[in-house]
Amino acid sequence: MPGSNQISAILQQALAAVASSASLKDLEAVDNRYLSRKNGLLTSILKTLKDIPIEERKTFGAAANEARLKLEEAIAQAQEGLRTSKRDSSLDPTLPGISHKIGSIHPITRVIEQICQSFYGMGFTIARGPEIETDYYNFEALNFPPDHPARDMQDTFYVEGGLLLRTHTTPVQVRTLEKSKPPVKIITPGKTFRNEAISTRSYCVFHQVDGFLVDEGVTMADLKGVLVAFCRDFFGEDLKLRFRPSFFPFTEPSAEVDISCFLCGGKGCQLCKYEGWLEILGCGMIDPNVLNNVGYDSEKYTGYAFGMGVERIAMLKYKINDVRLFYENDIRFIRQFR
Amino acid sequence: MQLPYSWILELVNVDWPAKELADRLTLCGTVANASPFLEEPLDNIVVGQILEIEPIKNTDHLKKAMVSTGSETFQVVCGAPNAAQGQKIIFAKIGAKLKGMGELKKAKLRGVESFGMICSERELGLTDDHSGIMTLDDDAELGMAADEYLGVKDYILKFDLTPNRSDSLSAIGIARDVACLAGKEIKQSKFELQEISEKSSDVVKISIADTSACPRYAARVIRGVRIGSSPWWIKRKLILSGIRPISNVVDITNLVMLETGQPLHAFDFRQFGRREVLVRRAKQGERFTTLDGKEHELTPEVLLITDGEKGVAAAGVMGGLNSEVSSDTADILLESANFDPITVRRSRMKLGISSESSTRFEKGADPNNVTFAMDRAAYLMQQYAGGEILSGIIDCYPEKINPITIDLRPSRVNAILGTDISKERMIIILKMLQFRVKDKETLEVTVPTFRPDIAREIDLIEEIARIEGYEQIPSADRNIGPLYTPLHPNDTFRQLIRTSMTAQGFDEIYSSTLADPKLLTKIEPEKAPIAIMNPIAADFAVLQSSCLYSLLKAISNNFAQRNTDLRIFEVGKAFLRNESATGDLSPVEVDEIGIALSGKSDDQWFGKGRERDFYELKGAIDSFFEFARVPQCIYRPEKHPAFDDSLVFELIINEKRIGFAGLIKNEIVRAFDIKQTVYAAVLDFNIILNSRQPENYYVPLPKFPSAPRALAVIVDETINVADIISKIKEMGGELLEAVELFDLYRGKQVGEGKKSLAFSLVFRSKGRSLENEEVTEIYNNIIEYLKNNFKTEIREG
Ligand SMILES: [Zn+2]
Repeated sequence: MPGSNQISAILQQALAAVASSASLKDLEAVDNRYLSRKNGLLTSILKTLKDIPIEERKTFGAAANEARLKLEEAIAQAQEGLRTSKRDSSLDPTLPGISHKIGSIHPITRVIEQICQSFYGMGFTIARGPEIETDYYNFEALNFPPDHPARDMQDTFYVEGGLLLRTHTTPVQVRTLEKSKPPVKIITPGKTFRNEAISTRSYCVFHQVDGFLVDEGVTMADLKGVLVAFCRDFFGEDLKLRFRPSFFPFTEPSAEVDISCFLCGGKGCQLCKYEGWLEILGCGMIDPNVLNNVGYDSEKYTGYAFGMGVERIAMLKYKINDVRLFYENDIRFIRQFR
Repeated sequence: MQLPYSWILELVNVDWPAKELADRLTLCGTVANASPFLEEPLDNIVVGQILEIEPIKNTDHLKKAMVSTGSETFQVVCGAPNAAQGQKIIFAKIGAKLKGMGELKKAKLRGVESFGMICSERELGLTDDHSGIMTLDDDAELGMAADEYLGVKDYILKFDLTPNRSDSLSAIGIARDVACLAGKEIKQSKFELQEISEKSSDVVKISIADTSACPRYAARVIRGVRIGSSPWWIKRKLILSGIRPISNVVDITNLVMLETGQPLHAFDFRQFGRREVLVRRAKQGERFTTLDGKEHELTPEVLLITDGEKGVAAAGVMGGLNSEVSSDTADILLESANFDPITVRRSRMKLGISSESSTRFEKGADPNNVTFAMDRAAYLMQQYAGGEILSGIIDCYPEKINPITIDLRPSRVNAILGTDISKERMIIILKMLQFRVKDKETLEVTVPTFRPDIAREIDLIEEIARIEGYEQIPSADRNIGPLYTPLHPNDTFRQLIRTSMTAQGFDEIYSSTLADPKLLTKIEPEKAPIAIMNPIAADFAVLQSSCLYSLLKAISNNFAQRNTDLRIFEVGKAFLRNESATGDLSPVEVDEIGIALSGKSDDQWFGKGRERDFYELKGAIDSFFEFARVPQCIYRPEKHPAFDDSLVFELIINEKRIGFAGLIKNEIVRAFDIKQTVYAAVLDFNIILNSRQPENYYVPLPKFPSAPRALAVIVDETINVADIISKIKEMGGELLEAVELFDLYRGKQVGEGKKSLAFSLVFRSKGRSLENEEVTEIYNNIIEYLKNNFKTEIREG
């Protein structure tokens, strides 16, 4: 049966151990050995209380508790002492931390997601469509008459069965309008194909984000508004925009949007070819023929549409000078984007 | 198209500098760029005259010439075969900078000193012509600065025109936009034709067999021209427009085309055996040689100009070699016609030739501009090539094309543009564009035939916006349409895949999805890929039928760059044929998730790197599934042509195959020039998306303590860990909260063909603290159960 002597013996032993502890780790070991709730030498003595005659329990218990408090205080004090003591000189903070590598998201995804997020905030949602398309959706429904020079703007890959690889994501506009009722407010990111020779400036595959809105009373001023908001969000607040007339078979009036060069602020530099402007997207009011093709009353409903090339924007944003890099997938390239 | 800046100023009186003119045009949709024609000024280069010239002895072509610049005389050595006494020429003095030659210095050739150079067009940077020196008109003023005399201190306007604007493919067309922007009139060139009494209709007959392909064909006959070179002013306009001068007659047809937009063609009339013109479709297999010397076998797609028998021109595309104007041509048949755009387009595609003429016809030339252009050309030919113009035009124009009239609602203009433009302003703009307007509540607008692109109200609205300026359209600060539309689960899942995989250290790749069929067939030998009919390269000839292709391609590219430690993924696509459809191609696009790893992780200061292996691949998939709330999948041994039979599994969720994972066949890896093992998985995006679980509800945290135990068993290698765990769970019952493998050991102590597995078991009750004894009892039951089910040795835990 343990007695008070035993308690003080254990305490002395423990205090000696505290005194000889050279590190926090040593102290932790002392703490564990004597004070661990489960089987600490001091704590387990308290568990033997039930075996002690009732009259002794009180003093014994008090002694044990006192010893515990003393030891706890001693440990705390010693810890304090060690904490304020010298640095552990073996710890080298310039060594790399222990971690694992994080992968990189491809710059094309980064740009697509940023664009989509910007428009998502303005009430657009994403729609997708097939990459193998019919002539109808890729051209005819979009007001490209057969044998029209406008088709030359988009050199097309044809696949078996009279089908083609879509040359833009605009067919998704037709597919979405066909199965929806206005208002429709959509952006369509995706892969597109053009039969072009591969060079630093052009590749046979590229990505596009198209967007459109059809509702009653949509005007070209609304189109300007949404694109001004997007460009400021994406490229920066103090950006200037320039809308100039252009031609796309599926919009009328059509416009090309230039932004003031974000590198030189419009003064002229190599990036903007000393023009001060960067061509960033094409847009316009959806041609009444397109709306009629999907069964909308083009007198009642109007809409706008816009589209931009993801690689072009990524090249401008990250100053990439060779479009082929996107598809070579050299991890030294991909890992530059965080 | 390019034109000299000065040409536009000749036609409209504006004082905008070249750059401003280009910018203003750009902002009205006629994209233009202005740049100086000469890269370097022509300093120290003047008009001179050859006073004397004599051959230098013992040389085969060198001559000594004395050149006067009016005030001074220079001795020069000249090698040009055409240099002759009395010629006015361009003379470069010592110190002049010539194209590709640097600064001119005093020279000595064959003992003769030379103090300058008589210049060819190439040395002046005008053309590539170096066949002889440039000779000037006799009235050229001696000593005049060459750039001034030549009129080359000019700017080039380069246009990037949209395919709808056929009206701006000419100097007059561009000038029309400029005049409109400046609120001025165009100065039309005035001329008076001198015709002889003989009628051209007596000399040649014209008939059109296909009037829809050729709505109008007009011609004139000019007799007795002298073919020679054009005067400098014509050459200059052509050179600055990027067209090489050839001879006076040909140059004039080009000049007038540039001026008016109407393509013209001059035939050598001698070659018209039957003295007639018949416009007809070519016969199948009919042979015809265009004037670039190429022989073509024609089809009826090509519209042919014939002399009643043989073809003399591919209508609207290119003339024939047989009727080309040559140095001894005397009689000209001058063609000015209108051809149907689609016909010309098909002809030029069939012939594989594109010309200034076909470009204009294809976009739509003005049928009512035909005679003006022809008369202008005839007039210039008479002026600069001599010759007599026979009286009258032979004009075959069976159905006159009249201007159309369109209703325009001023309210609609503002409703589309979001503007507040007054009706009066709209009328002013339309009239400046040379449209006729009847001012009613709804405007009646008559569109001239040089604007075939304008056929609807919306086209007129665009014209008003274009001229008014897009900067006049306000930017509306309102959000219309739905304020919110939820994202499709598909899109949130894409983000989730990327977050999960990159967090695990995988890099995202993007592929073209265009594949090399030879390599692809090794991966998917059973699935014939969808072929591209007009591929740009043999290795881009089909669409990939598996995402494994793009993964291997990316690893291959990296391996070639010595990036050997690779963990990559792609949210990609496979293109398949619909197998249920018979014969017919009915493509299916399958969204796939591809994951691959290869190589070895780097050694670190705290530990060695390890070879990437199957377990790492599995771990990545497991973590991704856990992250995305996809149930863990079962790996069932299966075969797949891309994977090595020794290590390939089909992945199953809810009895559905979601993909394959394993070791890529060595033979395939080699075919991709990869010299290390590759582990990969290809997963079906949509099946996984559809098996995602909803978000969890909260489960209360345990109130009672757990009782941990450890258990080690030695079993045959053939026994799967999952089977043991499931037996442990079976016997552990409700109170067994968790089982996990924490050690796997193979070695001498456990014996050949065996492995030691150590599991940690956690027991817990939801309602009470567990007694030691009851845990021990269950634990012992588990040991018994394992002994009965597997040949196991139990080691104390
Ligand atoms: Zn710049």
